[in-house]
Amino acid sequence: MSQTPLVEMIDIEKHFGGIRAVDHVSVDLREGEVVGLLGHNGAGKSCLMRILSGAMAPSGGEIRIRGEAVHFSEPNDARDMGVETIYQTLALADHLDAPANLFLGRELKTRFGNLDDKAMLKAAREVLARLNPNFKNLHDPVSSLSGGQRQVIAIARAIYFDTKVLIMDEPTAALGPSETAMVAGLIKELRSAGIGIFLVSHDIHDVFDLCDRVVVMNKGRLVGSHHIDEVSKDDVLSLIVKGELPMDWSARNLKAAQ
Amino acid sequence: MSDATKSYKSFDAASLLPGGASIHRLSALMTLLLLVVGFALSSQAFFSVNNGLTILLQTSVIGLLGIGMTMVIITGGIDLSVGSVLALSGVVSALAVKAGLPVVPAMGCGILAGAACGAFNGLVITRLRIPPFVATLGMMLIARGLALQITGAVPISGLGNAFGILGNGALFRMVEMRPNGFPKVIFPGIPYPAILLLIVAIAGAYLLHRRQIGRHIFATGSNEEASRLSGVRVDRTKLYAYTISGALAGLAGNVLMSRLVTAQPSEGVMYELDAIAAAVIGGASLSGGVGTISGTMIGAFIIGILRNGLNMSGVSAFIQQIVIGLVVIGAVWIDQIRNRP
Ligand SMILES: Nc1ncnc2c1ncn2[C@@H]1O[C@H](COP(=O)(O)OP(=O)(O)O)[C@@H](O)[C@H]1O
Ligand SMILES: [Mg+2]
Repeated sequence: MSQTPLVEMIDIEKHFGGIRAVDHVSVDLREGEVVGLLGHNGAGKSCLMRILSGAMAPSGGEIRIRGEAVHFSEPNDARDMGVETIYQTLALADHLDAPANLFLGRELKTRFGNLDDKAMLKAAREVLARLNPNFKNLHDPVSSLSGGQRQVIAIARAIYFDTKVLIMDEPTAALGPSETAMVAGLIKELRSAGIGIFLVSHDIHDVFDLCDRVVVMNKGRLVGSHHIDEVSKDDVLSLIVKGELPMDWSARNLKAAQ
Repeated sequence: MSDATKSYKSFDAASLLPGGASIHRLSALMTLLLLVVGFALSSQAFFSVNNGLTILLQTSVIGLLGIGMTMVIITGGIDLSVGSVLALSGVVSALAVKAGLPVVPAMGCGILAGAACGAFNGLVITRLRIPPFVATLGMMLIARGLALQITGAVPISGLGNAFGILGNGALFRMVEMRPNGFPKVIFPGIPYPAILLLIVAIAGAYLLHRRQIGRHIFATGSNEEASRLSGVRVDRTKLYAYTISGALAGLAGNVLMSRLVTAQPSEGVMYELDAIAAAVIGGASLSGGVGTISGTMIGAFIIGILRNGLNMSGVSAFIQQIVIGLVVIGAVWIDQIRNRP
């Protein structure tokens, strides 16, 4: 894989007053690659991802998409470049229904500039059925839906448009086992379609099942970036908790390489 | 289709006419009918054609303010300045007439002044991050002060007949000249302010339910951060809502001053409360994301009829204040109950 990475985040910084939420972090992502972003609560994962999705301005650093430096001043700038995000909070407007949320900010319009609710309903029905064949409540305000259904809407919104990079911030936090399996299947499908995925999680097992690479943050700093084959779950746990690999890791890894 | 969804999506008869599936609107409508019946029984004059026209005029002012207020409330905000902006706009129109402008462009100046006040509100709220309550409370004083300052607190009269047409004219009015030289009204016609209210209500409902800006007004009030992350220009959406509210306050000011054929800089005090009450009685929620134009229209009629009926029944102005105050508290209380999980 010698081509330019899909995404390069270089030396990204973000501070809030004295707090260094993101401290000189550099990561990249290639086409068809799933990168797991791990770390304790408060490690800075969401901040780093919000910077990539245009929801938060970095204090320093540079973002490149396909080698080209970009500047995202609002979420739509990132979306225009194919960077879609499933936020940890889902970012749904509670009083609106599923189609209205799916197209929020990118509403379909008729020739006269009116909202084309028919077309939005039709499209929503299709994409939601793809994710969950039992999804029926297309006319209810999303506040009345279950956590899983809300999550499905947030996912649908991120894959419906021309997605190149998908950021999933704790996508399975609100899901039951069958829905989690659906998300896992979806991730594999999207990966084979060449989409690059950042999967933020604190569940180490999810990450090992789905990811090609793990990136670990600890107190705002990047403490490790490893191919999934070169680390064990215990190694990653050590990175998450202590911010460093176990003492014997390099010895073990050398042996494995021989 | 559930009711909450209906309130922001459907733009059919039900979104303009009373009725539909809304229990809330239905109960508001029942209240309205009870008021009419009650006042009709307690006062003979209440049910006369003339009094009907008075109510229609009074309601059209509250209704125009209420439509703008509804949009602002749906974004999760509030506009306390509409009463003062109404006065300032009327005064600006009158001064423009005095300066030699024809009536129509002069009234246009007044409406523009109202829109400018609204835009100022919107900018203070979105740029300076001042809460709507405080920002529009400030504008309430600023606009009132301006209206009093530029007139020297003296009403402007002698504005000519043309200035009075908007507030006093009517469509299809039929007048017959009697042999004794006095005119006799055969059919009072449909007052212009009522027609204006109907047009603005339809336009407002269309904007809210059929246009992107309307969808974004609902989204912003529903969850501002989610809307921002979804690519909604939240600040611009609010700016629009406050500007519309200001412009409609300006329009209401012109209707009212035209009715009086005099520009009163002290007119419209506390009208913001009537407008808020109309919106909340009609089902708009002060926590944002919910509201309809049709509901607000019913609310405006309830307030208009309440004021008029109390007047006709000889209830003193002081008692009227107490009643309206209780109605406002009651309406907001009902809103709170509705929003409890
Ligand atoms: N908007 C904000 N203002 C101030 N501090 C923030 C803000 N967002 C995040 N932080 C802080 O930045 C740090 C990283 O947070 P976050 O990126 O949400 O962590 P994670 O997603 O890894 O749990 C935390 O200490 C958090 O309190
Ligand atoms: Mg997080």
